[in-house]
Amino acid sequence: MTLLATVLLVPWVAGALLVGLDGRRRPLAWSAVAVLAVGLVLLVALTVRVASAGPVQLVTGGWPAGVGIVLRADALGATFAVVSQLVLLVAAAHEAIPGPRARSFPGLVVLLAAGLTGLFLTGDVFNFYVFFEVAMTASYALAAYGGRPRQLRAALVFAAVNLLGSFIFLLSVAGTYRITGSLAMADVADGVLRAGANAGLLVAVGFFVAFSTKLGLFPFHFWLPTVYAGSRPAVAAILSGAVANIGGYGLIRFGAGIFPAQLRMAATALVVLGAASIVYGGVLAVSRGDTAELLAYSAIGQVGYVLVAVGVGGPVGLAAAVFYSVVNALNKALLFLTAGLRGPLVAGAFVVGALSVAGVPPAAGFVGKLTLFRTGVAAGSPALVVLLLVGSALSLLYMFMNYQRQFWRSDPAAGTTVSPLPRRALVAVLALLVLALGLWAEPLWQLSQQAADLFARESG
Amino acid sequence: MNLAFATGAAVLFGCGAYLLLHRDLFRVVGGIALISQAATLTLIASGLTRGRAPISPEPNEPVSDPVPQALALTALVIGLATLALLLALVHRLTVVLRTARHDELAAQEAQHESRLEPDRQRDRDEAT
Repeated sequence: MTLLATVLLVPWVAGALLVGLDGRRRPLAWSAVAVLAVGLVLLVALTVRVASAGPVQLVTGGWPAGVGIVLRADALGATFAVVSQLVLLVAAAHEAIPGPRARSFPGLVVLLAAGLTGLFLTGDVFNFYVFFEVAMTASYALAAYGGRPRQLRAALVFAAVNLLGSFIFLLSVAGTYRITGSLAMADVADGVLRAGANAGLLVAVGFFVAFSTKLGLFPFHFWLPTVYAGSRPAVAAILSGAVANIGGYGLIRFGAGIFPAQLRMAATALVVLGAASIVYGGVLAVSRGDTAELLAYSAIGQVGYVLVAVGVGGPVGLAAAVFYSVVNALNKALLFLTAGLRGPLVAGAFVVGALSVAGVPPAAGFVGKLTLFRTGVAAGSPALVVLLLVGSALSLLYMFMNYQRQFWRSDPAAGTTVSPLPRRALVAVLALLVLALGLWAEPLWQLSQQAADLFARESG
Repeated sequence: MNLAFATGAAVLFGCGAYLLLHRDLFRVVGGIALISQAATLTLIASGLTRGRAPISPEPNEPVSDPVPQALALTALVIGLATLALLLALVHRLTVVLRTARHDELAAQEAQHESRLEPDRQRDRDEAT
């Protein structure tokens, strides 16, 4: 229990301190990295405990449950918290190596970590909204990092669209309170079962729209290419590898945990939307010349897989959704960071990321795709399996077209400056991690299955 | 009473959505502010009960539900903070680009893109 409180408090205190200081100085940037590393170690310890001894729960202020706010760490939340923290750590180190360009950067990343950790470890719907806004506010400011017109425009688009998503989320929270009379997730899930079908569906659709906007799924994706292509590589890695996890986590937590009946009812619609996302993202990514833009469209395609897995549902589908979300976050962080670098080791790291996105062994994406195929088979739908195959073929095509264009060209004007070695070593380490996750996927797969079992018990 | 709140929230949301589609960035910010107010109003409406304030309840008398009021207060504070951030962003953008209109921003962006186009074309030529 103290571990759960410590995990939340460390980034809060450190972030509040760091934001007030000049983050352009190297020692401060590295101390932010150290705070994130400490947070990661604590989160891993928490995850190990959750995996071996079951969920950890804490009611704030010692109030009885129902009055106080419930903090709850289970396999699903802990997994997402660990992967988000890891991406933030790598991105912060990536910027700390040459020294950040803006004074607020290190503090904002730590505050973002505080918001994300809180969001994944809360058991209360409104508290989820508060942490969600903390994380989003930090990421709006981060999107403007760099300060050039392109980044400012990206930040404005990102902030305007996602604020709208946040308020739709808030409207849905109000609706939830209206129909269930409570805010703790466990009570809300019980209340929804008793509430009228129409009201439940309306609120569920509101949550779905809010999370899809965050995730950048097909009909809500319009803001995503501008933002990912416009922001700096480290920020794009943070947005796609850590902030987008909110959407995936929310779909699983709210869809399977709170609105299971509505999820079953809308299963076909979700699978169709996911399929549209996969095809749209894949086809447009093939047509893009710019690497960052290509990766942005690829991100739209990849989250489609998560939505398909959530739509199919059941223990197999949800475990695949969790597993694929984690792998996708790491892939995208690796690729966005690599896209901005030049020199030895970089092309190798890019290939590992490309193989992982396409689902070729031994990268982690292979195991992810395998679990998705298993989902398709479990759903008993040949069309779904064919679609997944087409999506993978498209991703192989666009990733390697880009690889060829970026790393095989002979134009000396494009690649004269070699990036500093520590930066290249960092992406190489991340690439090794993706490989290791593909070679020894057992722990993550176990964790994903534990997360899926959570909902099997609740709904069954 | 419910109907009044619902109408109020709907009108606010509608005006906000209308402003959001404008070209002027300050109107877009105004639209987002109105939509945030619509959300707050809905929060208050989500737990309408008549009664005494729960700080000094009397037995056998109804008590008003304090939760939505606490939620609305929190939502207002968050709304204020995000609005301030958004205004700061728009201000920065107008200082840098000397315009607060979407279409002019888009025109500058297009100009920039067209300058990049020869590079891209060269990339494509080399790739094929």
